[in-house]
Amino acid sequence: MDDRKIQIFMDSLLPLLKAGVAYTVPLTLISFALGLVLAILTALARLSKISVLKAAAGFYVWIIRGTPLLVQLFIIFYGLPSVGITLDPFIAAIIGFTLSVGAYGSEIVRAAIQSIPAGQWEAADSIGMTRTQALRRIIMPQAARVSVPPLANSFISLVKDTSLAASITYVEMFRKAQEITATTYEPLLLYSEVALIYLLFCTVLSALQHYLERRLARFSAR
Amino acid sequence: MIEVRNLHKSFGDLEVLKGIELSLDKGKVLVIIGPSGSGKSTLLRCFNLLEMPDEGQLKIGELALNFDKGRRPGTREVLALRKRTGMVFQSYNLFPHMTALENVMEAQVTVQKKSKEAARSRALELLDKVGLADKAGNYPHQLSGGQQQRVGIARAMAADPEVLLFDEPTSALDPELVGEVLKVMKRLASEGMTMVVVTHEMKFAADVADQIIMVDQGVIIEQGSPAEVLQHPNHPRAAAFLNILTQREI
Repeated sequence: MDDRKIQIFMDSLLPLLKAGVAYTVPLTLISFALGLVLAILTALARLSKISVLKAAAGFYVWIIRGTPLLVQLFIIFYGLPSVGITLDPFIAAIIGFTLSVGAYGSEIVRAAIQSIPAGQWEAADSIGMTRTQALRRIIMPQAARVSVPPLANSFISLVKDTSLAASITYVEMFRKAQEITATTYEPLLLYSEVALIYLLFCTVLSALQHYLERRLARFSAR
Repeated sequence: MIEVRNLHKSFGDLEVLKGIELSLDKGKVLVIIGPSGSGKSTLLRCFNLLEMPDEGQLKIGELALNFDKGRRPGTREVLALRKRTGMVFQSYNLFPHMTALENVMEAQVTVQKKSKEAARSRALELLDKVGLADKAGNYPHQLSGGQQQRVGIARAMAADPEVLLFDEPTSALDPELVGEVLKVMKRLASEGMTMVVVTHEMKFAADVADQIIMVDQGVIIEQGSPAEVLQHPNHPRAAAFLNILTQREI
């Protein structure tokens, strides 16, 4: 590598990291937090006895899982203005990613709830709990533990998926790399550099996942 | 204390209970025996509506419920009935994310809305009663089967039920752990707890039961005192079943 390339690499590092911390990270965190709430509500709706709720939740998951995330983002950002809804790129990205996390996450949460043995529901019933009390006190705390590994997986995927927001003009880390490439004409260098930073982020998250799983293993052995 | 009239229950086309009639006075122990698949567990689970009867009447304490085809009691009635009963399960079903103490506190705090302090002191009292005061801080997976089941008994008693229901409480236990659970149950019986016990422990039945019923193919084929049922069964299938159990003990 010649000096010029090293110089470009060093000069880009700070702007890329900045874009990562200031735009990729908040987009990821906010979408995941909102998506998780949506995922839990959707999972409960799918498991509920009210057929309208069940059908609505099933329809939502069907649509989101059956269409590409990139296409969904395009519909939200470039499509909706045709019907008079113009969204800021950040808001459009939040909506797109939240819907995605909500749909995929709901399947994880639903599976986790269903993995809790029937005996736990019966024990909750036998001490006089309502369905809501049983869910909140007995089922969800156990389901949460079961969901941690697959949800952490979704979270790590989301970090990388946020690069799709570049295509709807949101200047997160990947879009920043594209901008720098446009002025330096060093695509291999810049895209490898941004890949390295994604790798760094995801490595930290994997370590956090590992820590969380170990803490939650406190009660286990069933 | 318990009155059951003409109780019917089917799973699909299979009629599991075919018109059960029984009654039990306060402070008495009823033991239900019978071959597997006889409907004895289903009958027990009807007492706290883990299974919903299709037809008949069920009265526990002052609360009477009627079941008819197509008409089921509402949530409020179901919860009211469950507050009058406690259940001990074959596979314990303790809450694995809670300590022994928290397991016994749970119904008091969440259902009875007692203060945490009151619930804790009552829970410690109950754990002491089942001989596990020193295990209050342990999680279920840190306890032996016998200890878990004793926590299960303490949990079932925590909300002061009028009747305790035992669904084969020692069937999942290693043989050397059965005694400690039966001992606790015996003591509760001697203290005047009203109990309904589904079990294969014939010695327990002979020693502790005030009344034994034998269920077979969804009907009661023997009913009476331990001496009557265990020593002088009238029904040929009852005699055959008892014979098998006695031979197993030799």
